[in-house]
Amino acid sequence: MIKNFIISGSGGQGILSIGTVLANIFMLSNKFVTYCPCYGAEMRGGSVHCEVNMSDDELLTLQNEKADFVIALNQTAFDKFISKVKEGGTIIVNSSMAKIEKTRNDIKYIFAPFTQEALKLGNIKIANSIALGVLVKLLDNLTMENVKKAYEKILKNKKELIQKNVEAYLLGYNYIQEKEYA
Amino acid sequence: MSEKNLLKGNIAIAKAALNCGCSCYFGYPITPQTDIGEYLSLEMQKRNLAYVCAESEIGAINMALGAASSGEKVMTSSSSCAVALMQETLSYASSDELPVVLVNVMRAGPGQGYIFPSQGDYNQATIGGGNGDYKIIVLSPSSVQECIDLTYKSFYLAQKYRNPTILLVDGLLGQMAEPAIINENPYPDVDNSSWRLDGAKNRASRNIHSLEPNQTKLNQHVVKLYQKYQEIEKNEQVWEEYLCDDAEIILTAFGTMARSVKAVCNHFRQLGIKMGVFRPISLYPFPYNRLRELSIKAKCFIDIEMNMGQMLKDVRLGVLSNAHISFIGKPVGDWLKKEEIINAINNIIKEQYASI
Repeated sequence: MIKNFIISGSGGQGILSIGTVLANIFMLSNKFVTYCPCYGAEMRGGSVHCEVNMSDDELLTLQNEKADFVIALNQTAFDKFISKVKEGGTIIVNSSMAKIEKTRNDIKYIFAPFTQEALKLGNIKIANSIALGVLVKLLDNLTMENVKKAYEKILKNKKELIQKNVEAYLLGYNYIQEKEYA
Repeated sequence: MSEKNLLKGNIAIAKAALNCGCSCYFGYPITPQTDIGEYLSLEMQKRNLAYVCAESEIGAINMALGAASSGEKVMTSSSSCAVALMQETLSYASSDELPVVLVNVMRAGPGQGYIFPSQGDYNQATIGGGNGDYKIIVLSPSSVQECIDLTYKSFYLAQKYRNPTILLVDGLLGQMAEPAIINENPYPDVDNSSWRLDGAKNRASRNIHSLEPNQTKLNQHVVKLYQKYQEIEKNEQVWEEYLCDDAEIILTAFGTMARSVKAVCNHFRQLGIKMGVFRPISLYPFPYNRLRELSIKAKCFIDIEMNMGQMLKDVRLGVLSNAHISFIGKPVGDWLKKEEIINAINNIIKEQYASI
């Protein structure tokens, strides 16, 4: 099984951070995984995205045309990557920073106000982890233990942030009821 | 040490360099390889090793040449248009027989180009732009794990043959992360006490230079270098084969391009077409011998590169003259997609059959 992901938003929203957390979760779950950040002359506030590709077998293709799952944390990312969702795929959109609008009927949409929810938790910067929680809920066979380990790996120099991010992640994970999504 | 970690290609190279005893790094920042220098600037200071952010790439490679002559394990890293600046010194280092390791994380050219990924420096690395009869060992990784393994190998071959070595890395691979293990350096240390310049205490003085005003001596020197290159060509051809044994059509690709090409091969195998993939890992010495053997059975070769056909000429030199050779390529930017390659191959196969 191969699954492709695109995580997108603007510089400063922690796009690449949750990309590496996701890639680490897959690695710790013994999957083959590649993580490709877009790189360029980007700056805070500019567009940022990364690709994560996961496979049960040796991963063979690197840059893929379309993704099974897309996270878009702002309007620009939503507009830019809506066309990159595979037929039958899912896009997860931050409705605090993007209009709720369904232009395709061959994909699933999840809208949630990640920024507002993060503010409720007291830190706007953890909106990304809420979105990651929503995404991981939709995937099979990933354990909370590996999610925690992934956060510990990424945030090993900022220990105080681990707890906060895991809390945000769990909020996201429990945000969408399965029947609501189906 | 043996734990799997999600590593960027650039960081993997830097870690492997330290792990096999790189004692001096000289570099000048340029995307997409700046992580190498950034990582080493911290780590080498901690270990009390020599790190210099040079004033230019010309400065960096010449510092590397100087340090190598004193027997240090040296590395410099850069990218395409800046590696162009280093060509003169690569020729000097070849003549001086100095084990300089150069990592080129490729960006798009020609000229200034831009930071988009590309495989446009195959010619620059394997043929080179320096003067005179010289050759540089060139290795090309296709995964982060291979970035580590081939960094070790680059240092080893550079020392073993006293020859500059280039690790030619796709920009995509330098920036990309995947799980990899920083394993032990499997290669032995090479004794350089017979030539290094470490002060002439209790021995006759030595010098290392490429100037040779005596015609006979210069002739001898170049012939000696050539004998060394023949030795390298005999011993160091490395490649990967994927389903080549019964293949009638063989796809050739180097670096990360080979990964998508393998997926393409799987697609055609499922349709019952006998296809294989041949990936040179050493670009110099190019594995001509094996390619020639394969062309006894395979009569159709399709070369796929992220450039306009640079390795293509080596494939042409390698395969027997009655084989049919085609090319699929794109110079700059997003890697050729699996579907694009499949379509292009279908067209090639159609044309082939139409002509029979």
